[in-house]
Formats: sequence, structure tokens, C-alpha cells
Amino acid sequence: MNKSDLKLIIVIILIAIIILFMVAIFNNNSNKKALIYYDNDLVLTIDLTEKEKKEYFVDGYNGVVKIITEDGKIKVDEEESPLHLCSKQGFIDKTYETIVCLPNKIVIKIVSSKTNDLDTILR
Amino acid sequence: MAKKRKFKKGVIIKLFILLVIFVAIIFGVVFVIKKIGNMKFKEYTKTLNYMDTVIDIKLYSNNEKEANTIISEIEKIYKYYHELTDRYNAYEGINNVYTINHTSDITKMEINHDLYNILDYSINWYYKSNGLFNINIGKLTDLWKVYRDNQTGIPTNDELYRLSGLDIKHIVLYDDNKILTGNVNLDLGGIAKGYATEVVHYYLKSIGFERYLINAGGTVLAGINSDGGKYRVGLQDPDNASAILKDENKEIKLNVSNAIVTSSGGYERFYEYNGVRYHHIINPNTKMPANNMKSVTVITDNAMLGDALSTTLFLMSIEDGQKFIENFDNVEAIWYTNDNKVIKSDGIKKYE
Repeated sequence: MNKSDLKLIIVIILIAIIILFMVAIFNNNSNKKALIYYDNDLVLTIDLTEKEKKEYFVDGYNGVVKIITEDGKIKVDEEESPLHLCSKQGFIDKTYETIVCLPNKIVIKIVSSKTNDLDTILR
Repeated sequence: MAKKRKFKKGVIIKLFILLVIFVAIIFGVVFVIKKIGNMKFKEYTKTLNYMDTVIDIKLYSNNEKEANTIISEIEKIYKYYHELTDRYNAYEGINNVYTINHTSDITKMEINHDLYNILDYSINWYYKSNGLFNINIGKLTDLWKVYRDNQTGIPTNDELYRLSGLDIKHIVLYDDNKILTGNVNLDLGGIAKGYATEVVHYYLKSIGFERYLINAGGTVLAGINSDGGKYRVGLQDPDNASAILKDENKEIKLNVSNAIVTSSGGYERFYEYNGVRYHHIINPNTKMPANNMKSVTVITDNAMLGDALSTTLFLMSIEDGQKFIENFDNVEAIWYTNDNKVIKSDGIKKYE
């Protein structure tokens, strides 16, 4: 190995580091979040990148709605409604999934800037 | 000889390293250009709650002011049609579906041009669908809703028989702004969302805005995405709120741009009693909930058409529906049968 080879290797490493930085800078905003809406207004944003179980409480139309997050997933645990459709739905974790509690006027959406498989889901 | 070979090897290694650098730089540059290109369009979203449904709006724009203006215009449209078609509330200074439904005697009433047009469009569809698409079945849907909310039992024949005034001829429209009616109960659930969405569609076209995706519960209005390409739309499995409908174990993903996808069926509005599934869409001829399939999805270029058509197809047998869609241009459909099979019209291929 001579001097010019060494120079070449250093140049390669430098370029690699620069490209790595560029990728990191442009790709750093992929954190998954849950957005909680009450009657068309955003009332709470929850970071879903945390693993441990957490409880949140938001005011719904019929009373307090208890929300649980765990392992990047989110669900409605308890709410006041005739059919309990949204607590029966269980955990969601994909960005096109939503939990809708119409009687409580609560909507939970998952957003992430990571490019996703599906843009929306028709129900 | 040995020296010569060594020299050649060195050149090859250097060339190889140069090639790797070259490729790496190209990748890096392409990646950054793509990212910067996408950054030109920022995503703007808003979630609304009108017409008993959640409406998700997503726009891509490089102009925040423009995006916010468009979102507030879209909200105005949905709010306006929500109030016009609301069965449960009256609003000041406007005759809406509630006002019409609360006239017991035969009454002449002035209604605005927009409500007139929805009713006119719906009555036309009554004839197009041989009476299957009937907006004057509010009494019937209410009766079934009582049982659906209790999740048990079905209305007795007597209860169904006693319902009167389900005839579409009890609504007479004239002079472009008047209605003659009485003792009716209109339910625009099968058209209101699609109609409002088509008004939004028209508004977006008229201002030349292209990058949008609107999901208004059962109706998806898709423009083009931030890269100018297609959106991927999944269909929900009617049996599982958090699963995508599958065809032979492969998830159905439709690639659409500048199109409307509408579904009827849906997981949230049916109940089961004695092993039979009772949907929220009622057949006005039999007075019974439709039970021909689990869901039907149509791809069209008009949201009003999509909404009326998917409701009608849901009330028809699949065979009749396959013939019925031949009456329309640029319409494709996907049926999900009661025994979990997926049936597609021929043109669905171009969306897969």
C-alpha cells in the first residue's frame, strides 16, 4: 500500500461519513405519534416510540376516555358509550389505522413520517 | 511476469474502489435530491367530524396559506351539507331534512338550490335502481336502528307493515326551489357524504389543486400524491376492524389517482341475531336489511355516483350488480361475498 492508496481510502471514508450524515439528517423525523382529537380539535399527542405501558385520560362527550399505549401500540381501554365499539377494537399500531369513538367524539390516529405501505383505508 | 500481474491487480482494485465511490455518490445525490423535492410539498392534515363520520383531509402543498385556506373551504362544504342533510337537528334560517321530516300535513316548502339538487339526484336514482335506492325510508331505518342498538331481535312483521309513507312519490319537487311533501322521513345516509365529497371534488378541480387525499368514511377522494403518483388504498375487512381485506391471502391494495373509491357494508354498523347478519342498509322493497354480501366497493370518477351506486349494489344480488355496472362508463367494482370470496370486475386489474 502506498501513499496514494492511503489518500484514496481516507477520501472514501470521508465521503461515506458525509453520505451517512446526509441520510441521517434527512431521515431523522420518523417518530411514530398518536394524535387524539375531540370534536375536530387536536387535544393530545402521544409519542409511540416508547416501549413501556402508559395510561392517558381525555375528556370525551360522555365522560373520561382511558387510553393505553404499550410497545408502539395504542388502544382505548375504557369509555362510556352504548356499544363500546372503540374499546372493543383493541390495539392499533399502523399509520392508516384509526380508532373512532363517535358517541364520545374522540378520534385516535397514528402518524409517522416514515413512508408507509398504505395511504388510507376504506371502511 | 509476477510483477506485471501485481501491477494489474492494483489497477483493478483502484478502479473498483473508484466505482464504489462513484455509485455511492450517485446514490447519495439522488437520495438528497428526492428528499429536497419532497420537502417542497409539506403535508397538511385535518380531521373533521360531520355526517356521523370521521373525515380525514390530507393535502400536499408548498404554500401554507393556500393549504389552510383549502382546508377551511373543505370544512365549510362538509359542515354545510351536514346541516342540510341532518335528520336530528334544525338550523336557523334554513330548511333542511329535519324540517322536511317534521311536517305531518302536506306542506309546500321552499328549500335552497343545493338541497333541491340532492333530492332531485336521489329521486332520479330511485328510478335508475328500480326502487332500491330510496331516500324516503327514514322510518324503516329508524325502526331497524332500535333493534341494532339493542343488538338483539328483529322488528315484527306487524311493526314493518304498519310503516307508511315510504313512497318516493310523497316527495314532489318543482320550480327549482320548492318541495311539496308531508308525513315523510328522509334519510340521506346513502348519498349525503358522496354528494358533499363531489362538491369538494369540484371545488378542488376548479382551483386547480391536485395533491389531496380525503377519506370521508366510506368514500375516498384521491388526487395525486406528493410525488405526483398514485395513492395506495386498502379495503377494511368487514369482519375485523384492524385487518385489510384479503383476496387469496393477499391484501387488496388499490393504486388510484384522480379517482373516487366508495364502499358499502362496513364493520361498524351491523349486528348478528340467530346467526344472521343484519346490516344498516335496508332494502325498501323487502323492508329487510340487505344480506347479499359483506361489502361492495366501487371505483368511479364521481363521488355522488359512487355513493348512490355502492348503496344500490349492496342491495342487489352480485349477478344483478355485475350487469348493472355495465350501464356506467369508468366504473369498476369489488364484491366481498358472504362466504368470504372476492369477486372483481375486469377493469380492477389496472388498479392492482
